[in-house]
Amino acid sequence: MNKKKVLVVEDDAILRQALTEFLEADNFSVIVATDGEEAVKFTKNNKPDIILLDIILPKKDGFDVIKEIKEDDNTKDIPIVLLTNLGSLSDIEKALALGATTYLVKGDYQLKEVMEKIKEILFLKK
Amino acid sequence: MKWIVNDLNIKKQADDLGISIWQTPSLLFLIMGIISIIVMIVVYFVSRNHTSPEYLILAETFVTVTIFVAGNMIITSVEKLTQINKMKSEFVAIVSHQLKNPLTGINWDIELLISKYKKGLDQKQLDIIKKINGSTILMTRLVNDLLDVVRIDQGNLFVNKDKFNIEGIIKKTIVKNESLTRQMNVEIRVEISDNTPQIVGDEKRLEVALDNLFSNAVKYNKEGGVVVIKVEKKNKEINLCVEDNGIGIPEKEQAQIFEKFYRSEKAIRKETGGTGLGLYIAKNIVEQCGGKIWFKSSEEKGSKFCFSLPLA
Repeated sequence: MNKKKVLVVEDDAILRQALTEFLEADNFSVIVATDGEEAVKFTKNNKPDIILLDIILPKKDGFDVIKEIKEDDNTKDIPIVLLTNLGSLSDIEKALALGATTYLVKGDYQLKEVMEKIKEILFLKK
Repeated sequence: MKWIVNDLNIKKQADDLGISIWQTPSLLFLIMGIISIIVMIVVYFVSRNHTSPEYLILAETFVTVTIFVAGNMIITSVEKLTQINKMKSEFVAIVSHQLKNPLTGINWDIELLISKYKKGLDQKQLDIIKKINGSTILMTRLVNDLLDVVRIDQGNLFVNKDKFNIEGIIKKTIVKNESLTRQMNVEIRVEISDNTPQIVGDEKRLEVALDNLFSNAVKYNKEGGVVVIKVEKKNKEINLCVEDNGIGIPEKEQAQIFEKFYRSEKAIRKETGGTGLGLYIAKNIVEQCGGKIWFKSSEEKGSKFCFSLPLA
């Protein structure tokens, strides 16, 4: 089976590294972006199978990233999992309205559970 | 009537609100009332001696201005209180949110270490890592509780509508509390039938709610006590109950236990750690998910906390 490609968009180096290592150990291929502009660029160039997206990011925030990805026909079907510590009703509603597939509050999830969610989305979709 | 007594106890009110006595709305209101009455009496005597409309209008203007000024003072005072309250909520929200990122980092790295890079660590090292993990779990729970309270206060608590098996969160909760259970030497029993249907609600949050009920049942138990988690299907709902044979809740405190920051005297004597937020949060989560929460308790015999959730 082909390795699934995951784009990890996270500006916090420690969280980014933990996510990346865990994903790679679970047999995913990982691309990382550290700000919003990279996120959009890498999505267009690399066509990941799924995107893990933080909201508070340098240069361009997560909401704008979703907008741009959803506006482009080539990338609009890529599922976006928001992985953030913002957990207020208004943030979540805004993200879901923009087209995010699901919303996970980072601090509430173990890495194992994040992986389960990713697999659920990837394999339910196909 | 209780509220009148409360209204007149201005010193206590000022202490509760954290403001000086002359700023309390009740006192300002009383002053406004007294001034209005005095002014009206003056107007009465003035109008008795002077029947010309000029005097009457002047007197009436005087009354209106008095009420207006005093009323304005009350509004300003209330506005200031609301503002302070809002600032406090925002402060807690910002601090807890800032704490969450580094905490997530610690949690994830420990998980990475234990699940993927365990090789080469001996038992002692693993034990120490598990202890660190236990502490960060506690701290995460505390930070989450604070954030949840702020969200509840602001009417901003979001709940997902997941369809899930309740058994999963029961298992997770038991595992999460393993060291507490061992420490308290409490026996856990689960009664659930295999074909229990799925429910609808926020899985992550309901796990928090159950965790709060369950950890209370363990914490406030007696040495060698029992905690029973029982799941039953009733009409279009699932009822989940957590029953213990622990210290119970004194009858006079039972009406208050779902209040924010409320802690039973007995609970404080038994276990000094605790914020008094667990049941408040559990209640709000369950209700936000469309369920109900209730309990029965008798002192020295034990408590039974239940909640219901709609079927998927």
